Amino acid sequence: MAAKTYNIPELDTKLADRRYHLTDANPEFTQKILKTSRTIANMCYQCGTCTGSCPSAPRSSYRIRLFMRRCVLGLEDEALTDPDLWLCTTCYSCTDRCPRDIAPTDVIMAMRNLAFLRDIVPKNFLQTCQLIYNSGHGVPNNDVNRAARTKLGLPADPPTTHSYPEFIKGIQKIIDHYGLKENADRILKGD
Amino acid sequence: MHEYAFFLGCIAPNRYPGCEASAIKTSEKVGIKLLPLKGASCCPAPGAFGSIDLNVWYAMAARNVVLAEEMKKDIALICNGCYKSIYEVNHILKHNDELRDGVNEVLAEIDMQFKGSIDVWHLAELYYDEKICGLKKIRDSVTTPLNGVKIAAHYGCHLMKPQKERHFGDTENPMWFEELIEALGAEPVQYRNKMQCCGAGGGVRGYDIVHALDITNEKMINVREAGADAITEVCPFCQLQFDRGQIEIKEKFGDVYNIPVLHYNELLGLAQGMSPQDLALDLHAIDCTPFLKKVL
Ligand code: SF4
Ligand code: SF4
Repeated sequence: MAAKTYNIPELDTKLADRRYHLTDANPEFTQKILKTSRTIANMCYQCGTCTGSCPSAPRSSYRIRLFMRRCVLGLEDEALTDPDLWLCTTCYSCTDRCPRDIAPTDVIMAMRNLAFLRDIVPKNFLQTCQLIYNSGHGVPNNDVNRAARTKLGLPADPPTTHSYPEFIKGIQKIIDHYGLKENADRILKGD
Repeated sequence: MHEYAFFLGCIAPNRYPGCEASAIKTSEKVGIKLLPLKGASCCPAPGAFGSIDLNVWYAMAARNVVLAEEMKKDIALICNGCYKSIYEVNHILKHNDELRDGVNEVLAEIDMQFKGSIDVWHLAELYYDEKICGLKKIRDSVTTPLNGVKIAAHYGCHLMKPQKERHFGDTENPMWFEELIEALGAEPVQYRNKMQCCGAGGGVRGYDIVHALDITNEKMINVREAGADAITEVCPFCQLQFDRGQIEIKEKFGDVYNIPVLHYNELLGLAQGMSPQDLALDLHAIDCTPFLKKVL
């Protein structure tokens, strides 16, 4: 059957060719996600059970099924630049219900990792990293809480890095190994 | 006595110290001893760290596990977020040679090595586990039964899900938490969509607070509909989202619930005769007094 013509030569050529067009797609993107997520994302048959289970879907334009499609088709730019990528609460409801035994949640996590490599990441994620780098805690202690702890008969600071700051050096070495703090500082400064 | 290295995380010790104090005291009454895990850090936050670089998340969580390996003790913890990081990374590294080797290469820089020699437990599952504690011991430890109150159980997400990487079974309508509530003399209530997320996870609370609170608000509507006097959970981050979240929901949407939110350890503490002062319940954003008047 001949393809319908729109009298746009470029589009006509595309339509005549019923193969899947790779112009916007990066097959490597799919492969990278499969590796990082350690889930069989390529098996998604777009049933939509994930979106139907998602607490973020009814209150936003975030659709996990759409991200699954973008993963399979290798639509890297579309996936990584979409702000909805950051609306997944990682509740794993979709993962427990997916009839193909895929973990869509882990696909989102892999995409976020890839977005970070392009400096696409919300500030609050980087700020948590900075806090942990400096104190060992994402939510550090404060004076009100120290007073409350003392009243309870607990040490004012918990027996974590707060009481043993000599351990912070090791934590910084781990984070620096991956250059995370450096990147976080750089991205936050650029904002 | 069953001894465990007590992994604290951040929010319990640094925002709701009553969760920490009650865990230590209540567990001792049922034959569990929690030992300090010196030098532990943030788990690290699975939403923030996992989203940015999973490899750092593996390595940082592994460091916490290794601290307990060095004590030759299994880890017990009281937060679902910590469970996600510590339990899951321990599990993954035990079974994935490639990832373990990668992590150990980094840990070698700080003279540590992940061996895979311990297990990680949530204190709530130890309470439920007949081999360690079990409902009977919990029931026998109660001196002030919490009679006459209805309590809504919030299981949270990362303790039981993803189901195939956990050992809790059904994640659509589990009932073990309700049994733990019943053991305290209180009445657990069923409510619509009880397995729904609190809304805070995955970095969403920090990224888009209104979106996160909207999820929380749906949950609050369902809890109120069931006539609950309080919500109980096993995750200080969920606790923060429901407790401080109710204040934020009032500011942002104008909806008022005033339903107190207590960690299961805090409830157990009350049932075992700890006073509200022993639990620092005054640090909770939502006033617990009406609830306390009913039970004490
Ligand atoms: S539930 Fe699974 S198979 Fe269905 S659309 Fe979502 S990821 Fe694909
Ligand atoms: S894990 Fe994320 S995508 Fe899946 S249901 Fe939960 S919020 Fe939605």
